[in-house]
Amino acid sequence: MRFPRSLAALIVLAACQPAGDAEEQPVAEATPAAATQAFDVSSFTGTTYGEPLTLTELTPVSAILADPPAFIGKPVLVQGMVVAVCEEKGCWMDIASDKEFEKIQVKVDDGVIVFPLTAKGKQALVEGVVEQIELTYEQALAQAKARAEEHGEAFDSTTVTGPQTIFRIRGKGAVVAD
Amino acid sequence: MSSRWRRWNAAVHRDLGYLCAGLTVVYAVSGLAVNHRSDWNPSYALRETAVSLEGVDLSDPTAAGFAERILAELELEGHFRGTFRPDPDTYQIFLEGSTVTVDLPGGTASFEETRERPGLRQANFLHLNEAKKLWTWMADLYAVGLLVLAVTGLFVLRGRNGITGRGAWLTAVGVAVPVVFLLLYL
Repeated sequence: MRFPRSLAALIVLAACQPAGDAEEQPVAEATPAAATQAFDVSSFTGTTYGEPLTLTELTPVSAILADPPAFIGKPVLVQGMVVAVCEEKGCWMDIASDKEFEKIQVKVDDGVIVFPLTAKGKQALVEGVVEQIELTYEQALAQAKARAEEHGEAFDSTTVTGPQTIFRIRGKGAVVAD
Repeated sequence: MSSRWRRWNAAVHRDLGYLCAGLTVVYAVSGLAVNHRSDWNPSYALRETAVSLEGVDLSDPTAAGFAERILAELELEGHFRGTFRPDPDTYQIFLEGSTVTVDLPGGTASFEETRERPGLRQANFLHLNEAKKLWTWMADLYAVGLLVLAVTGLFVLRGRNGITGRGAWLTAVGVAVPVVFLLLYL
């Protein structure tokens, strides 16, 4: 049986694809040293999402939430349990803090990283940059409404009382334990 | 010369058609599912049930065995992952594939089950390129394959049903459909 010549032409075409250029990594500012502790990233195994983790200093979520302005624009590596995941696109997940009643959102670009809904309750190691988001009253209202709809809950507009400031992590990469 | 070119065109169209058939079915099924994302979750089946916890003492969520007592009351078994308190009135228990959210003052809970939709989850995983890595190149290759299929398909037949006859009209209709929608919506 002869190999189809049309297939051979296709394979040659595929082999001519140019190799991707390596992206330049921006030089990141240092994270406040007092808040961090050394962490062996290789000891944390699971499924990797996005870019490989590069930081080796772990920052407690509670330290970020205690003084968010000190961390804005800084790269951080955080660890915690995944307590919520975006049901529509998997474009964010909430990581529980090491302190009660606290969590921080990890937001990723839609479609670039997709967190699975089944990650809820699993431990995750996340690397990203802390960012501050200012929402007008209308934006905060729209976001709260969208989140209520996503969870199939009744929307109570009185829960939003004015403009909001949100501190979250712009995620670059994550490892979710299997 | 013309006849040889036609034979090559038909051969490429035929073999590419065979090669792309499987992935086209995967992408088409996923496309249908994802198009209606606002009405349902195309990858996961979510089921939420409200339950009462009248028989459980919910006064001290920090007490030892608190989560175990709730799970026993709800007769839930499964791989226990952890607990979380988003606020003083709420207590969450995470199991593999499900979450129990307890309203402590109200004495009620919601039980949410998350299951992958078999076949669809996998199709969406490929279609939406969640895999990344080498799959990105595979998907690019498939897209190029579809492009070649479309172009070679125009020239498979000659004569009345070819691109100079009936085919021209049908091709024009096919091109007009997205143009009309763009004019309507943009």
